[in-house]
Amino acid sequence: MWNELLFAFQSVATLPNFLAMFAGIWGGVIIGAIPGMTGTMAVTLALPFTFYLPPVTSILLLVALYKGSTYGGSISAILIKTPGTASAACTVLDGYPLARSGKGGKALNMALVSSCIGDFVSNISLFFLAMPLAMFALRVGPPEFFMLMAFSLTIVASISGRSLVLGIIAACLGLLLATVGEDIYGSYRFALSEDMKSGLGMVPVLIGLFALPELIKMIVFRPEDNSEAMKLGDNRLTLSEFRGSLKSIFRGSLIGVILGAIPGIGPSTAAFFSYSEARRTSKNGDRFGEGEIEGIAASESANNGACGATMIPLLALGVPGDVITGVMLGAFMIHGLTPGPLLFQNNLGEVYSLFIGMLFSSVFLFIAGKLTASAFTKISRIPQTLLLPCILILCVYGIYSIGASPFDVTVLLVMGVVGFAMMLLNIPAAPFLIAFILGPMFEDNMRRSLAISRGDLGVFFQSWISWGFFALTILFIILTIRREWTKWRNKSRDAAQSAS
Amino acid sequence: MNQNRDFYAGLVATAFFAIVLFILIPVYVKVPSFIPGFAPPPDMWPRVIAVLGLVMGVLALILAFPKSRKASGEKVTTLGFYLNRNKVFMTRFAILLVVFAAFVYGLPVIGFVPATVLLLGVLFLMTGNFDRRFWMLGLTLIFPVLLYLLFTEVNHTPFPEGTLFSSSLSNLTTLI
Repeated sequence: MWNELLFAFQSVATLPNFLAMFAGIWGGVIIGAIPGMTGTMAVTLALPFTFYLPPVTSILLLVALYKGSTYGGSISAILIKTPGTASAACTVLDGYPLARSGKGGKALNMALVSSCIGDFVSNISLFFLAMPLAMFALRVGPPEFFMLMAFSLTIVASISGRSLVLGIIAACLGLLLATVGEDIYGSYRFALSEDMKSGLGMVPVLIGLFALPELIKMIVFRPEDNSEAMKLGDNRLTLSEFRGSLKSIFRGSLIGVILGAIPGIGPSTAAFFSYSEARRTSKNGDRFGEGEIEGIAASESANNGACGATMIPLLALGVPGDVITGVMLGAFMIHGLTPGPLLFQNNLGEVYSLFIGMLFSSVFLFIAGKLTASAFTKISRIPQTLLLPCILILCVYGIYSIGASPFDVTVLLVMGVVGFAMMLLNIPAAPFLIAFILGPMFEDNMRRSLAISRGDLGVFFQSWISWGFFALTILFIILTIRREWTKWRNKSRDAAQSAS
Repeated sequence: MNQNRDFYAGLVATAFFAIVLFILIPVYVKVPSFIPGFAPPPDMWPRVIAVLGLVMGVLALILAFPKSRKASGEKVTTLGFYLNRNKVFMTRFAILLVVFAAFVYGLPVIGFVPATVLLLGVLFLMTGNFDRRFWMLGLTLIFPVLLYLLFTEVNHTPFPEGTLFSSSLSNLTTLI
């Protein structure tokens, strides 16, 4: 193992990999710092460029983008009271009051330090937890994989947002679009034109759905941008302030790791949970929300702590922990790597390289953040009227360059319009994405299992692993129904009370 | 109208999945006369999804109906009134669709770079904010060309020159 790790270290410590990681960190911070642009957009926008890179370099670039954008979200949260990403929403609570009192630089420094520590702890946990989980999962065949995919699809319930029904509708749309083209037995489905026979490309669909609706929204509704950025002011983070927040940083990192490793939870919930725990236990708890630097430490360590941990189920089981790792799953597959237990058997070198590279990226995040903090603060002031049209042109070039196909550009634009329509109708895009990526795996394993068993459904219940995933799926569905029922009952009771 | 979004989402989903189930699947999912082994037919999975989507669409309609009726009772917002009130937004959206369609159909004719320059220029115009018009003009002319150079030099992507210009370009090359 140590020899393999040493070899992985040597293969990662190359100039192209370091450049990819630095580019990813900077690109992620820039995109994360721009309000309205998310880490998912950062990762999807970079996908076309990874086609020309080796697999490990590509994945490291995407992971660096993920980490950079998670930290970048705190810049606009602290300086213009607008979280660049959802996971930075908690950082606004104490970051903006600190910036108003002339301590924006101090708040940004604390966000950077706690993000890096959280990230490092998360990467270490990935190293120790992913391998044993994968070894266990090596014992599964198509029926067990089908059950695992069924369990993975229940993640839709936790990323549906306001309405579970609309979330399931979005997931059905994603599953349906994933069936376009040739199936595993050579039959064509929904091939309305010659181009559609090879199916819809994953990259144009994802980019269209996540990057374009914001542009269309801006053009159609023309919202006014009234946000004004604060100056950096006091830049120093004292040792006593750091020491006072250390407990919250480590607790936040652990919360991030635990919640990040559970599919469907992700960095936002981890940040809120860590923040509320820090507020409950800190001796400065009553100052939280008024500019307490420990609050920033708690939320930022947790959201970055979840980044590496979301890769645990992805690498070990092939189950994406959140939307961004869903996109990364697509990136792995584009490069001929299939996340899951077999990855540890067939591509162990790449897995170790990824582990080592992720540890490097924590250090790069710190260096990049320290060197260019003042430059990054200007990014949040770039007007969207200039930025978003340029992003569309970048997407058009990027998508065309993948397969030199005008059809992919058409898919990109059509998916942008579909994404905008979904936004107007409050249909969430995240379940669509997860279903679009997991759908083909779900169907292939189901059809393979039924072919093996000659149509006998009992094949899905022959091993205790299948039963385990089945039980988890049923448990998750019951819990979701119970939660929805309670929500509906509370709403009805409130409505009845307000009417009386 | 805003309160009725769930209702309209349900309506759109019901109509879409009904079309998929009753029109698209029978016509566009061909079931082969022979299927190897006991593998399920290719239309099984799309049918399952379409039925689930249809059920969810109807459920969304049922759940949103009381809310929608209450909202209608409080405020009369007929579809005609709503369309009239949001005429500007819908006109912009329709123009954007026309711009996208023109880009897709015009791309093979005028070539990739001119098409993207035009698209970027029109998008800047459509933002309606001309505070930074010189930036807009500069970016419109330079940004697509820079991307073209990046992708052709680094990735060797063969971008279409356009049928309108390709003959004149090839004549020019012959002359040179």
